[in-house]
Amino acid sequence: MPQSQIIVQDLSKTYRVPEREPGLRASLKSLYRKTYREVLAVKAISFRIEAGERVGFIGPNGAGKTTTLKMLAGLLHPSGGEARVDGFTPWQRKPDYLRQIAMVLGNKSQLMWDIPAHDTFRVLAEIYHVPASQFDATLGELVDLLDLGDLLSRPVRNLSLGERMKCELAASLIHHPAVLFLDEPTLGLDVSMQRRLRQFIAEYNHRHNATVILTSHYMADVVELCPRVILIHHGELLYDGPLAGLSEKLAPFKLIRLALSEPAGDNLPEEAHVVSQENGSLTLRVNRRETAAITAQLLRTLPVVDLSVEDPPIETVIDQIYQEGTV
Amino acid sequence: MLQPLRLIRIFIETSVKNETAYNANFWVSLLNSLLNFGTGILGVIVLFGQIETVGGWSFASTLTVLGVYLTVGAVRDLFISPSLDSLTGMDGEVWIGTFDFTLLRPVDTQFLASVRRWRLFALFDLLLGLGVLIVAVLRLGTALTAAHLITFLAALAMGTITLYAILLAFSGLVFWSPGFLFSWVFNGIFQMARYPVRLYPGALRLLLTWVVPVGVITTIPAQALTGELSPAALIGSLGFSIALFTGASILFRGGLRRYASASS
Amino acid sequence: MNHRGGWALIQQTWLSWMQHRSFFFLLAFGWMVPPLIYLFVWSTAARGGTIGGMTRGAFVTYYLVLIVVNQLTYAQTNWTVGDLIRDGRLNQLLLYPMSPLYNTLATEIAGKVVYMIFVIPITAVLALGLRPELHLSVTQVIAFIPALGLAWLLRFFWGYWLALLAFWITRADSLLSLQDALIFLLAGQVAPVALLPGVLKTAAIALPFRYMIGFPVEVLTGQAAGIDLAAGFAFQIGWTAAAIILYLALWRRGVRHFTAIGG
Repeated sequence: MPQSQIIVQDLSKTYRVPEREPGLRASLKSLYRKTYREVLAVKAISFRIEAGERVGFIGPNGAGKTTTLKMLAGLLHPSGGEARVDGFTPWQRKPDYLRQIAMVLGNKSQLMWDIPAHDTFRVLAEIYHVPASQFDATLGELVDLLDLGDLLSRPVRNLSLGERMKCELAASLIHHPAVLFLDEPTLGLDVSMQRRLRQFIAEYNHRHNATVILTSHYMADVVELCPRVILIHHGELLYDGPLAGLSEKLAPFKLIRLALSEPAGDNLPEEAHVVSQENGSLTLRVNRRETAAITAQLLRTLPVVDLSVEDPPIETVIDQIYQEGTV
Repeated sequence: MLQPLRLIRIFIETSVKNETAYNANFWVSLLNSLLNFGTGILGVIVLFGQIETVGGWSFASTLTVLGVYLTVGAVRDLFISPSLDSLTGMDGEVWIGTFDFTLLRPVDTQFLASVRRWRLFALFDLLLGLGVLIVAVLRLGTALTAAHLITFLAALAMGTITLYAILLAFSGLVFWSPGFLFSWVFNGIFQMARYPVRLYPGALRLLLTWVVPVGVITTIPAQALTGELSPAALIGSLGFSIALFTGASILFRGGLRRYASASS
Repeated sequence: MNHRGGWALIQQTWLSWMQHRSFFFLLAFGWMVPPLIYLFVWSTAARGGTIGGMTRGAFVTYYLVLIVVNQLTYAQTNWTVGDLIRDGRLNQLLLYPMSPLYNTLATEIAGKVVYMIFVIPITAVLALGLRPELHLSVTQVIAFIPALGLAWLLRFFWGYWLALLAFWITRADSLLSLQDALIFLLAGQVAPVALLPGVLKTAAIALPFRYMIGFPVEVLTGQAAGIDLAAGFAFQIGWTAAAIILYLALWRRGVRHFTAIGG
């Protein structure tokens, strides 16, 4: 069996953060004896990713997603564990490895500010040893797929955020990386531009089999783009699998939506948790296993006009996990 | 391989485009160059208007030191300062947070940080500095042999390497202590290199020769032209600049490793 | 005149500047270096004799006093006023029930205090090491005080009216560089004015720069005495008056222009 492209085994990252307590005595003490606090940013996570997959890393802020991404990109040294991408150890930062990967950071720009993006592309082509003919071909394809038009000839500072993000993505693909790390690429963009970029990423992945690892707080990104998600919370890997399975595994409940002809009163079963209640409509949350029984009971006891049983929206599941750590 | 040279070429091209994106800079730069040049020269003229020699240095030989100062300063302003500042300077990548992109490139980070940005206007300063040197040498009246010139060029190269090493070390220190205005402090100390090191009193002279060796940068190449440079001093400064360069590189790379372990 | 508001502003500005004192200490260090260089150069040159009537010790005294006077009179108005105009933040100041002059004065005083905390100890240490020579007479000290006061006033308002040009021109970098160079040459930094060659010496006596820094130093060290002293004061008072007039004229027209175009 061929080896997976990305193999991560017990990867950990611990930071030593100097402790700084307020007050004069504490500051004086810190001069001759520094105390440190250990922050366990990533705790022994393991997973494998095949070439060409699209994987979403989700989790609340500070969960360890970006830290994991940066370790895989070779920007950070782990405290423990191993990782291999395409046979390379990322943090050794061998040039041959760095030529295989690219990273896009949502709120930071790699383009030179005062000159057109095209000039940055040319510099990158030189840095990554892209032959002139390949550069022209790649650029042509990117202009086409991203609809870059004349954006490339205007100084980057004159571009809108959406236009600039298109150029950032293009810049990261000049050298045809095998693995693409996208850290919140749609941050701050309007809905239509987000959709546009998602379409592009999916299309590029389809054409070139570039592995895409994406972090995002926009559920739409994850839902539309990532058949597989890895949930990281408090540095731990809580879930690794299809998105649909997330709610099933981690949130063993369902939502029952009822339309009533009269108000429900207090006539509700105990096990049903009321999510919302407005004139004529009622939404309840119940345990998966009890759904059938409770549905039957509701139909008997309430003036039900319409009823539907749904999986909870992904956002709710994730919210719950963020708040409670597990479900 | 030719790769580094091709990279430098495209860095220069891109830097020119960057500079020309703002027109106003040209006249301001011209004025500043002329003022820097003018005040330097006038300083020496005023001093030697009152006295023939100072600490064994004449007008012509002191002018030589100033010429070296302007020349080395021009090389620094040509690519060393612009490149290092773009990384660890006031609005540099380490400050803004885009340093990660530079780390991602399949090119040695120290190399990138040192040659990435060019300010071609410094070539004008270089011309001014060389002009001062020529005038000074003419006034010195010493017969310049090929040996003199070669020694001078070697000393000049070593002085430039020493300057690069100091700036690189200061750049590396930013990874440990982000807010400190290292380059401002160094600029202050480097100003002292306008005059021969021997003019400064004992303790300061030691500081300027061994701790922040600006004396090596300007005084020694000047001595090569005035004929006062002993072979021992030349070899010594060669060893010194190599040691400094190695130490600074180690410090800088250590800073990079620290960044990779500490940052989130 | 709003005195309470002004005093509160000064206190608050001083506290916030003290927070960043290492930044300002480093700034002060940078400004100290050029006079120090010439202190060493001239004192080495004068070793074992005199130059222009000044001994080694006299040069040391001259430059140490120059360092302190320079720091005391240094004009920060380009940043405290000029930047405010360019940013448009002047609008906020115009709303307060007190003249923006207070705000500038507040930062001026705060800054000076912070710089002095750095400069005075360093100068004292240097004096211990370098053995300056000083023959103080009562007249010198008495004359020094108004000379210093006028120097501060002159440099402050001269810097102020230049900063007000920001109402009309967007970048004054060239002017500042030129001014710095002139101050370096003619205000007694590269050499005491008495030692400057012909043309430069005449220019230094006629132009305002000497009266911002060099003149008070010369008064204290006794170099300016008798007729020179009187003439110097005349020039100093004249230039200070000119600076204040320029400030008032430009301020009025500038604010009208500023508020007309909406900042």
